[in-house]
Amino acid sequence: MNLFGLAPLLLILPLIGVFFNTVVGRRLVAADAPSGEKWSGWFATAMSGSAFIVAVLIFFSLPTVDYHAQTVVLWDWFNMPSTDFHVQWAMYFDTLSATMLLVVTGVGSLIHIYAIGYMHGDKDFARFFTYLNLFLFFMLILVTGNSYLMLFVGWEGVGLCSFLLIGFWYDKPNGVGILNGDAARKAFVANRVGDFAMIMAMSLTFWVFKTLEFEGVIETALHMFEEGGKAAPISFGMFTAEFQVVLSAITVLFLIGATGKSAQIPLFIWLPDAMAGPTPVSALIHAATMVTSGIYLITRSNVLFEIVRETGFQMAGIISVPDLVAVVGACTAVYAGLIAFTQFDVKKVLAYSTVSQLGFMIAAVGMGAYVAGMFHLITHAFFKALLFMGSGSIIHGMEHGHHHLHDHGHGGHGDDHHDDHHDDHHEDDFDPQDMRTMGGLWKKMPVTFGVYVIGSLALAGIFPFAGFWSKDEILAHAQVNEFAIFSFINIMLTIGAFCTAFYMTRQIKMVFFGEPRHEAAVHASESNRLMTRPLVFLAVLSVFGGFLNTPNFSEPEGYGSDYASEEKYEESGDHSETEAILAAGGSKTTFTLALEHWLEHSIQSFELTEEGVVHMPHTPIVLQYNVAVTSSIIAIGAILIAWFLVFRGYPMKPEDDDPLQAAPVIGTVWAFFQGLPLDSLYMNGWVKRVFLPLGEISNLIDWDFWHNFVHERLIRDTFVTSADFFSKVLDPLGVDGAVNGVGKSLRNFANGLRSTQTGNVGNYALGLFLGVAAVIAYFVFAA
Amino acid sequence: MAVTIEWYIALSTILFTLGALGVLLRRNAIIIFMSVELMLNSANLLLVAFAHHLGDATGQVLVFFVMTVAAAEVAVGLALIVAIFQSKKSIDIGDVNLLRG
Amino acid sequence: MIESSSILTVLTFLPIFGVAVILLLKPFNSENDLNIKVVANLTAVATFILSLVVLAMYDSSFAGLQMKHELNWIPALGVKYFFAVDGLSILMVMLTTFIMPLAIASSWNAIETQVKQYYIFLLLLEAGMMGVFLAQDLFFFYIFWEFTLVPMYFLIGIWGGKERVYASIKFFLYTMAGSLLMLVAILYMGLNAGTFSVPELIANYDLYSSAQSWLFWGFAVAFAIKVPLFPFHSWLPDAHTQAPTAGSIVLAGVLLKMGTYGFTRFNLPLFPEASAEAAPLMATLAIIGIIYGAILSFAQTDVKKLVAYSSISHLGFVMLGIFSLNEIGIQGAILQGVNHGLSTGALFFIVGIVYEQRHTRELSEFGGLWRAMPMYAVLSLVVTLSSMGLPGLNGFVGEFSILLGSIGGQTLGASPWIYTAFATTGVILAAIYLLKMYQGMFMGPLDNPKNQSLRDLNGGELAIMLSFLLFIVWIGIAPSGFFTMIDASVADLVTHMQPAIDAVVAANGG
Repeated sequence: MNLFGLAPLLLILPLIGVFFNTVVGRRLVAADAPSGEKWSGWFATAMSGSAFIVAVLIFFSLPTVDYHAQTVVLWDWFNMPSTDFHVQWAMYFDTLSATMLLVVTGVGSLIHIYAIGYMHGDKDFARFFTYLNLFLFFMLILVTGNSYLMLFVGWEGVGLCSFLLIGFWYDKPNGVGILNGDAARKAFVANRVGDFAMIMAMSLTFWVFKTLEFEGVIETALHMFEEGGKAAPISFGMFTAEFQVVLSAITVLFLIGATGKSAQIPLFIWLPDAMAGPTPVSALIHAATMVTSGIYLITRSNVLFEIVRETGFQMAGIISVPDLVAVVGACTAVYAGLIAFTQFDVKKVLAYSTVSQLGFMIAAVGMGAYVAGMFHLITHAFFKALLFMGSGSIIHGMEHGHHHLHDHGHGGHGDDHHDDHHDDHHEDDFDPQDMRTMGGLWKKMPVTFGVYVIGSLALAGIFPFAGFWSKDEILAHAQVNEFAIFSFINIMLTIGAFCTAFYMTRQIKMVFFGEPRHEAAVHASESNRLMTRPLVFLAVLSVFGGFLNTPNFSEPEGYGSDYASEEKYEESGDHSETEAILAAGGSKTTFTLALEHWLEHSIQSFELTEEGVVHMPHTPIVLQYNVAVTSSIIAIGAILIAWFLVFRGYPMKPEDDDPLQAAPVIGTVWAFFQGLPLDSLYMNGWVKRVFLPLGEISNLIDWDFWHNFVHERLIRDTFVTSADFFSKVLDPLGVDGAVNGVGKSLRNFANGLRSTQTGNVGNYALGLFLGVAAVIAYFVFAA
Repeated sequence: MAVTIEWYIALSTILFTLGALGVLLRRNAIIIFMSVELMLNSANLLLVAFAHHLGDATGQVLVFFVMTVAAAEVAVGLALIVAIFQSKKSIDIGDVNLLRG
Repeated sequence: MIESSSILTVLTFLPIFGVAVILLLKPFNSENDLNIKVVANLTAVATFILSLVVLAMYDSSFAGLQMKHELNWIPALGVKYFFAVDGLSILMVMLTTFIMPLAIASSWNAIETQVKQYYIFLLLLEAGMMGVFLAQDLFFFYIFWEFTLVPMYFLIGIWGGKERVYASIKFFLYTMAGSLLMLVAILYMGLNAGTFSVPELIANYDLYSSAQSWLFWGFAVAFAIKVPLFPFHSWLPDAHTQAPTAGSIVLAGVLLKMGTYGFTRFNLPLFPEASAEAAPLMATLAIIGIIYGAILSFAQTDVKKLVAYSSISHLGFVMLGIFSLNEIGIQGAILQGVNHGLSTGALFFIVGIVYEQRHTRELSEFGGLWRAMPMYAVLSLVVTLSSMGLPGLNGFVGEFSILLGSIGGQTLGASPWIYTAFATTGVILAAIYLLKMYQGMFMGPLDNPKNQSLRDLNGGELAIMLSFLLFIVWIGIAPSGFFTMIDASVADLVTHMQPAIDAVVAANGG
């Protein structure tokens, strides 16, 4: 079964959806909202679902070609025959992109269905689905592109869709007083900073490897490493540098690109504001798919990162790029985890949680645990989408309760409010996303409560939910990470795991338990089935998703007893034996290590030996009982602490502070993180203090100095003044004076002559006679 | 008493002087015009007299030319006078001083 | 390959034929100008169709000049009547014939006074620009080069905004002043070499090469003012803000490209060593222009001025590409010239549509137009994104090729990536100022009552926008056909320059 010919459908189907909703759907909704919404929403969902089916078919086609990567060429994109610069529109299918395809289209389809319920009644219903399909289109380009440049198309395209969707309610302010348009712009610009690095990275990549296709780059990189070693000279134009330096530059630029898209330090600031978008967007783009593309990028470039690791090149003598990746991820995991403590907005907690979890994934790929990173990416897509959609359901319920309240207060226009309830989100001070107004919702919204708890447990990493397996795998790698600062990554990630469990428990406690703290919470009601069914489905995935990559519970036969000394056995040099063992182990783990084994075909593992680059089979992961037990204890401990801390004396009114805020030491930390130093650095420091004044100054320089002063005052006025001087002072005396003098005397002379002309015929006749007489007299007397 | 050439010269001179004085002194354009004719014809008379006296026909031929020119002059001059009269309602040359500088 | 043909003469003077027809049509300022408009539009469309014939006859695999129409004009001085086309100019010719019908059509309702003269000047301008791109004799080229000033001067000065007279005079004098240096350089070369024909001059390089460093600057200043390269840009904001919409479209779309075209056609092949030596300086000025133009653009509150300043930024990319002196950079630069013409031309058209209805361009006057004019908003978004360089649209194709070329820049020193890094910040800045514009116009609440009654695009405006968008998307997703058209000529140019480049690199210790 080879169905790769269907691949273009992956892109065509969402595009059909885009055109349908732009041209037809919009009119249908405007003409008749209830049926129009059905057409618009379900058509878009059908396109997404069909793409999912195509993705499944491709998934099952890969084994038939023995897992060899398949390229489906669409057409030439860049082609300059006289140069090496040749990039095609081509789709690249290997196990990695097939995995991403399934996640994107699968979770995407569920979110489409959910959105039909969530967006019900919005007058821009069709526009929303246009954007969703457009997003899907670009995301599929991103994960199927066969070159960095095509990946970049999707990369920027999803950024665009993110911009459009954050600014979806562009004419309304959001809860915290920032214009939605501003939040959207911030997201786009922060992403562009990452894109800056991407463009630089791609430019360097091209000149080093003379291609931008993944396969070509990887092959050439391995070849160059094998041939020339880490110090091989790279030169183009007048530029010369060592291979390891250039490759470090490329990879660090990829890292910066990833920090933009995957919201890592220092570029994560856009993601929390991105919550201004409708909740399905937060679930799809800002949790499950788009923000993971940074992890995808690094995983895709794993060979480059591993070569850099092999060369041991330290930037500025301090840190190597892969270690930097891990450190950035680990720091983000903790930093965002701590910020999540301090949030009262139900979506902001999840937003920072997402940043934190993305930090886990980045840390994983930085440690070389690409499979663990991808595994966490997948499970995270399940449970974070679930949590976001759950929070959407909560918000919906709260709004419903609020309107219920409102209707009773102002009876009579209830129907209007139901029809476009999104329009009056902010009709008064009530914020349906503020957790302080909630409480006791478990009775009102049982389904949402149930799935939310499952999602939270999965996120917190409680056995046997999905998050447990994926997070443990990362922690297991962190334990053996050889980064110079002892156990830094391990400690940070463990703290991150603690935070995760803590803030999720806090949220559940605040939202679902206790007494309702606002009338709206009293009247909240469960969302409709279109919204809850995808939730239940995702809840199932969140429970069982972890079994995608269940580790061995015991070490394979004959395998070295010390997993942590993976490096040691490599150093031992007895490769024939270890390879045989690994081969045996590999085959043995086929059934248990599904994802590991599956991704093995895409993620190359290799060693540099005396014979050159040797491809290695993947080392199977074994469940580290000590890690599992430790992390479980930490998670459960965090849950218990949070449970008792939040339960006790928790404020009953929205105005009150969180008890932690009042505590002496924690309160300071709290204020620090709530103040969001990096965020205010961006808005107040960079934009207000630097960029706006810079614009003003430049305008001053260009307009007032260069345009008005130099051109107008210096050049133009000098010219005009000197022209005036010439015409009024110098000229009358000199040239003009002489010429005028001649003219004037001529005129005076002529005026004298003028009086002789009387016009009288008699005078003329007399003159004539006198003249004749004179002539005659001349002849008479002279002769 | 034979009429000698001197008589012709005297008559011609008198006629020419009369014409010249008429041109200079009279203000009526028609009179001036007639005075001009008088001067021309005095010159003609002298030409014919000398031609006869010298026995050479050239002078008589010249008289024909003068008469032709005079005729043309009369035609143009009278037309001018008529035009002036139409615009000025007068043929007094004192009224016509358009050429004054 | 068609060696010689007179089709280019016909192409250049076809608009003049249209002018003649319009002159015969009606007395000035008639109440009904319909026939004048129809003739002007038909002429422009006919020119476009004829240019398609030229395109069909064009052989992209041949590097040199083709379809030559070469006659002796002033044999005593060696001046020739010489039209020909190659890869450096074919896209510029197509851009001209494509933009002109759109600019002319966009004036249909916008111009109400002195309609006859207006269309005459537009058509004269088209003929002048065609001549600039097709003339292969320096003397002949110079005549067209200066000729284009006249119609543009009147277009700004008669149909412009409040300060049109000031702007038109400034435009005229500024560009004229630069051109005079070029005239001196042209005369020096022509009189020394005994010919003004570009191919013959290149063949007789030795006859003028000793003076090439100042000859280079003579040409460079004239072209830099036209581009405009920082710091010669001061005429541009005035000209753009005062010009009528069609004038701005043509100015941004084609006239500025005459400058960049001049660099590729004359400076690089005629003075290869001087070009290689000047490359770091020119690239630095280009990068200052990119960043400076972008920051300035951000500071503007007048939408049209914002777009005008963005041109400085975009043209900086083009100049950087040219002076990377390699195939990728130069090809990217030529294509980016086309892209800028399409995107910025479309942006000026967009500004014109809303200006026509509101008679203001202040950003603060707008907001929430998406609600009032959805179709306009969506199409504007695509154009804005194209200008911003979103991959999949045309702007990215050019920008990326230029950045890629610049990092391999041949004479940009040992760290060409520094140039690339600074230029790439232009990508971030473009997002900042263009999104500011887009957000200011289209997002936010629709709270200005004057904006609530704005009408959306009508049929004609939609057709013009879609014409722009067709190529914006086409070049974005399938530029290889466009690159193929210019590839052979650019490769030939770089090969021609390579010895000089190597010499400069060797002299600088590379």
